[in-house]
Amino acid sequence: MSAPLSETKGSGPAAGGASNAQANTNVLEGNAEGQSEPKRRQKNMTRAQRRELQESQRAAKAADAEKGGERGGAKGKSTAKPSEAHRSASGAPGRPRRPTESGDTPSRATFTSSRSAGRDARDSTYGGDDGNTQTRGLRIFSHFGLPKAPSNVKGDIHPAIIRLGLQFSTFRITGANARCIATLTAFKTVIQDYSTPPNTTLSRHLMTHLNPQINHLVTARPMAVSMGNAIRQLKLEISNSDIDMPEQDAKDLLCRKIDNYIRDRIIFADQVIQDSAGQKLRDGDVILTFARSSVVEKVLLRAHGDGKRISVIVVDSRPMLEGKHLLSVLTSAGIPCTYLLLPALGSVIGQASTVLLGAHSLHADGAVYSRAGNALVAMLAKTHSVPVLVCCETYKFAESVILDGFTKNELAPTGDIFRTLPSVIRRDRLTLDPSPNLEIRSPLYDLTPPTNITAVVTEVGIIPPNSISSVPLTLGRQATYNSASVFDGV
Amino acid sequence: MSVPSSPVDSLRRASQFDINGAYRRILADEKISTPLAAILALTELIEQSNAGTMFELVQALHEGAEALRKQYRNSISINAGCELFIAFVTLFPHESASFNDLKIELVKQGREYANEALSYREKIAQQALGFIKDGSVILTHSYSRVVMQALLLAHNQKRISVYVTEARPRGLGLDRVKTQEALATAGIPCTVVLDSAVAYVMDKVDLVLVGSEAVVESGGLINAVGSNQMAIIAKAANKPVYAMAESYKFHRLFPLSQYDLPTHTSNVLSFPRQPARPSVSKSFPSSPIKPTAQRHPSSQATFFSEYQMTPEQIRLNPEVDYTRPDLISLVFSDVGILTPEGVSQYLVGMFAG
Repeated sequence: MSAPLSETKGSGPAAGGASNAQANTNVLEGNAEGQSEPKRRQKNMTRAQRRELQESQRAAKAADAEKGGERGGAKGKSTAKPSEAHRSASGAPGRPRRPTESGDTPSRATFTSSRSAGRDARDSTYGGDDGNTQTRGLRIFSHFGLPKAPSNVKGDIHPAIIRLGLQFSTFRITGANARCIATLTAFKTVIQDYSTPPNTTLSRHLMTHLNPQINHLVTARPMAVSMGNAIRQLKLEISNSDIDMPEQDAKDLLCRKIDNYIRDRIIFADQVIQDSAGQKLRDGDVILTFARSSVVEKVLLRAHGDGKRISVIVVDSRPMLEGKHLLSVLTSAGIPCTYLLLPALGSVIGQASTVLLGAHSLHADGAVYSRAGNALVAMLAKTHSVPVLVCCETYKFAESVILDGFTKNELAPTGDIFRTLPSVIRRDRLTLDPSPNLEIRSPLYDLTPPTNITAVVTEVGIIPPNSISSVPLTLGRQATYNSASVFDGV
Repeated sequence: MSVPSSPVDSLRRASQFDINGAYRRILADEKISTPLAAILALTELIEQSNAGTMFELVQALHEGAEALRKQYRNSISINAGCELFIAFVTLFPHESASFNDLKIELVKQGREYANEALSYREKIAQQALGFIKDGSVILTHSYSRVVMQALLLAHNQKRISVYVTEARPRGLGLDRVKTQEALATAGIPCTVVLDSAVAYVMDKVDLVLVGSEAVVESGGLINAVGSNQMAIIAKAANKPVYAMAESYKFHRLFPLSQYDLPTHTSNVLSFPRQPARPSVSKSFPSSPIKPTAQRHPSSQATFFSEYQMTPEQIRLNPEVDYTRPDLISLVFSDVGILTPEGVSQYLVGMFAG
């Protein structure tokens, strides 16, 4: 599920993305320059005036769209992904404009709805188009975040963060662990490049400097629980940093703390998880896993390295087909693998001796929030009484409870879901024509209830899902003890 | 055990201490259960050892525990005791002036704990009292000291009657007599039922009361084989299953299935290897028609059915099984009346903190 730790393998795409990011940054900065003037004016306006201005801008956009569809329709932000617009425009030459419009609407809809007056924007756009109200998308999905390239850079955003935002939104870096490590590494650069303005202290000002950076990342893709926990810890460290310490020392200390966090909570945790999950894998076992999780991958490789004769069933699902990567890693390591898609799971689940899953986050009631499809695998495994083990570090624990995978979710990128299909089948028979009555939506995550999970493998041991609430408590208590003692000292 | 050499003198001395002998001597006391006996044996080991550092001492303890473990096919409850004690020793605050003082203190603490632990059963029996109504019919499995104590206590105040299973293979000789005899002498109406008659008797029963060898981290329990099926049948009949376990039986182990238990070997439930084809028709070992008593006339008592399993056949069978937490209603222990989730939370809180 997650990309390899960005330090090593991630460097490939990261380097590739660098030039991209650089180019985009320039564009974006240009944008920011251009927008800064009206923005400043907006601040002084009343609410009604601002609304009026928005309406007029919208009308202008709609008129723009009427005039030239080939320019990417009403997309004012077309700079971010011109290729997509171009592709969908050329994909259906018979109807050059309509598909472009409707193909773009999902992204645009969520895009604008996240702003203040998104609903009006949609209505007016469609109203200006042809008045066909049927083309309105499924409103119930409108709250799902769709990853998007952050178009306008507000405030003083560090280039490393802008780059990271682009990597997140284009799914170059995916997976809770990889995203967390990448974020923390980028923050290290931000902290090193930061200098405290006069008349303030690092412990107070750095936080206000970091907040826009974090917001920028959140606009690129909703925050992962792992990132949230790490950032909370970082903020705690910042507020605890000594006022009297020289600035460079304080920054170095913070960077060291970040390194320690990555080492203790992710890398060492993964090693312990490899050990304890490995104890549950035996010679001749058939391990079933879904999509790709960096921890599961390591567990399997370690078990194989320890000389256990295991074979792996990799279950995968569209649109991301992340399991393919896991498959290539496992097969090149010499582990016998079977690859199949989720619909075929029912026929092989009986052969599996253990199901190993990864997790995006783990909630207080023991529910696992993970890549869409995991819930189905766990449910089927439960009905076939195959033990389900979820590998998850404790820093992915969330104190919240979510009840389903619907209230909070993201959408998987819909860009090229069919690219990965075998070329024997003619492409136009597979692609769904984006028509006004069709919307393609694939939620990125789902929620596995604790009843379908046998155990969670964490660095503090193998524990049943419904008692994880006692683990973050102890960890959290430690944190509060530390801070309390620091406060006492001050 | 190890080659004697001068630098590891203390370790050698420690290993010279006959931990198995001590264990067996302690276990001979009727009141002391296996984990407690293991704890007391390790306490004696500390007393005898002349380890000069904590590291040596812990190493000696680990070796002692290992020696103890190797002696028995089913070492789960020994392991629970050993792990608890070793964790206690490693976490014990080093406040004593000298290491010898520390050792004396550890021995004292170990003894005190064992003494205190002897009162746990009484506490548990007291807790269970509220769950046993007047006129209850109770089903129990095999022989468990804590269950016996609970039943005897309940008998003093309420009218109860008890069905006890035969609990083969362990219950064959000693245990069946033990549970039933002890109950009968106390004047409790008691009937022995076949292991295969559990489903038959279940509808007549108000509650199921079982002891345990170990309570594991999932909240499930490990007990004499047959407990699992009893719990499954009870669940199907909507009867409550109460498990009783002293807190020293809480064990940091997470079995995913029956075959994930440490007692499970490739030998258990393996199919008999058949030497040649013709012999199959002549004597198929698991065939019920074959009167096995004739094959071992000397080793089998005459009153045994001729359809009795041979010792070899019994050896292919498991001694203990694992009961899933969702089949258990409550666990009575000296730390309180816990739900299975509560047990796992207690264990996680104790070890994972």
